Amino acid sequence: MNYHLNFFFVLRDFDKLLDGLVVTLELTVAANAIGLTFGFGVALLVMSPVRVIRWAATAFVEFFRCTPALIQIVWFFYCVPILFNVFLDAVTMGVLALGLNLTAFNAEAYRAAIQAIPRAHLDASVALGLGWRARILHVVFPQALRMALPVLISNAIGLFQQTALVSLVAVSDLMYQAKTLSTQTYRPIETFTVAAFIYLAISFPVGQLVTYFERRNARRLAG
Amino acid sequence: MPDQGFVRINGLHKSFGQGAVQVFKGLDLEMGRQDRLVIIGPSGGGKSTLLRCIMGLDPIDAGEIHIDGKLYISAGGRSQKNRIERAIQRQIGMVFQHYTLFPHLSVVGNLILAPVTSRGEAKAGATQRAMALLDRFGLGDKARSYPAQLSGGQKQRVAIARALMLEPRLMMFDEVTSALDPELVVEVERMMVELAEQGMPMMVVTHDMWFAKNIATRVAFCAGGVILEHGEPGAFFSNPKLDRTRDFIVNILRAA
Repeated sequence: MNYHLNFFFVLRDFDKLLDGLVVTLELTVAANAIGLTFGFGVALLVMSPVRVIRWAATAFVEFFRCTPALIQIVWFFYCVPILFNVFLDAVTMGVLALGLNLTAFNAEAYRAAIQAIPRAHLDASVALGLGWRARILHVVFPQALRMALPVLISNAIGLFQQTALVSLVAVSDLMYQAKTLSTQTYRPIETFTVAAFIYLAISFPVGQLVTYFERRNARRLAG
Repeated sequence: MPDQGFVRINGLHKSFGQGAVQVFKGLDLEMGRQDRLVIIGPSGGGKSTLLRCIMGLDPIDAGEIHIDGKLYISAGGRSQKNRIERAIQRQIGMVFQHYTLFPHLSVVGNLILAPVTSRGEAKAGATQRAMALLDRFGLGDKARSYPAQLSGGQKQRVAIARALMLEPRLMMFDEVTSALDPELVVEVERMMVELAEQGMPMMVVTHDMWFAKNIATRVAFCAGGVILEHGEPGAFFSNPKLDRTRDFIVNILRAA
C-alpha cells in the first residue's frame, strides 16, 4: 500500500465536523420526537375498529416502510414544493421526512407492544371506571412504551444513521460536512473514517441501552 | 327473604359467536342488599360470564339488569349496543381470577389511579385513603412495591383493595382464589370474610365450598344457561331439591 494516511487536514477542520454533528443530532432528536408520539397514535389508528381509519393508517405505515428513505427525502424536497407549493427550510423538510419515516416504523413497534398487553387489563380498566382517555394514557401507553423501548431505541439508532441521507439535499449535517471536507482536502479516506467513528461513538453506547432495557423488562413486566 | 330487590336480573339471554354457543337462556336472579351470593356450577356453565355481564364487560342479547330498583343494563335489540347506566356501573367493584394489577404502577399507584384520573380526587387525599386501606389489610409495608415483587396472595389482596378504593356498593369476585397456591388462599379469604362481616354485598363465583357454606347467605347453582336452584347454604347443601344439584355437590365435595 503506497497510500499514506494523513489525518492532519481532517483534524484541523474537526470543528466543521462537529458543527455537522450538531445538525445531525438536531435532526435525530426532532425526528424522534415526532416518531415516538405520532408512532403511538398511528399504532392506535392501525388497530381502530373503524375500517376506513384502519386502512388509511395501514397505507401510511406501509408507504413509509416499503419505499427507500432516500426517495422519501428527495420527494419531500423536490416533489412536495412543486405539488403543494410549500417549502419550509431544508432542516424542517428533513425532519418531516425522517420523522414520518420513523413514525411508520415505531407504529409497528408500538402495535406489537399494545397487542402484548393482557386483555384482562382492559377488563380491569372498565371495572375501575377508567374512561378511554385514562385507559390509553395511564394503562396502555406506559406499558406499550416500556415493552417497545428496545425496538424504539434500535429504530432511533437506525434513524441517526439515515440522517446522512439529507446531505444529498444540501442540509449541512455531519455527512455533508464530511463530503465537503473530503473534496477540499483530497482526503476522502481519512475524512469519512473520522465521520464514521463519530457516528459509531454516538450509536454504540445508545445501542447498549437496548440490552439494558430488555433485561429490565424481563424482570419488571413479569407481574 | 328480606329485601330481594338489590340486584335483579330478568330474562337474561347471552350467546357467543352469533348464537353458536348459548350461555344464558332466560336467566333470572335476585339478590338482596344484605346478601353474599355464591354462584357455583359446572365449568362452562356461565358463572364468570354472568359476573362479566353484570360488570358490563360482555354485552347481553336480551333481558334486563336492575340495581337498587333502577334499570342498569338493558339489551338494545339484536344489532344495537347495550344501554348501560354508567353511574351505576361505577358503584360495582370487580376482582378477577388473574390479578389484573398494572405492572408499571406501584401498589399505591394501582390504588389511586382510578380515583385520581376518573373521579378527580386529589392525589394527596387518595394516597392517604390508599395507605389507610392497605394498613387495614396488612399491606402497608407493600405500598411502594411493584406487582412483580408480590406473591399471588398479596397481588389479589391489592386487587381487592384497589376495587374498594372506589367505595363500591356491590363487590364481585370471579374465582379470585383459583389461581393461587393453597397456602395463599387463606389470606385472600380472610380479607373477603372481613368485608363480609362489614356487611359488603358480594357476588362470588368460586369452587371453594368452605366459603359457600360458611360465608354465603345464599347459594345459586348455575348450569345449562339458567339458575337451576338457589337457597340458603344450609338447606342448599344438606337438602338440594334437584338431582342435578345433588350430583354436583357430591362430586365437588368429594374432589375437595
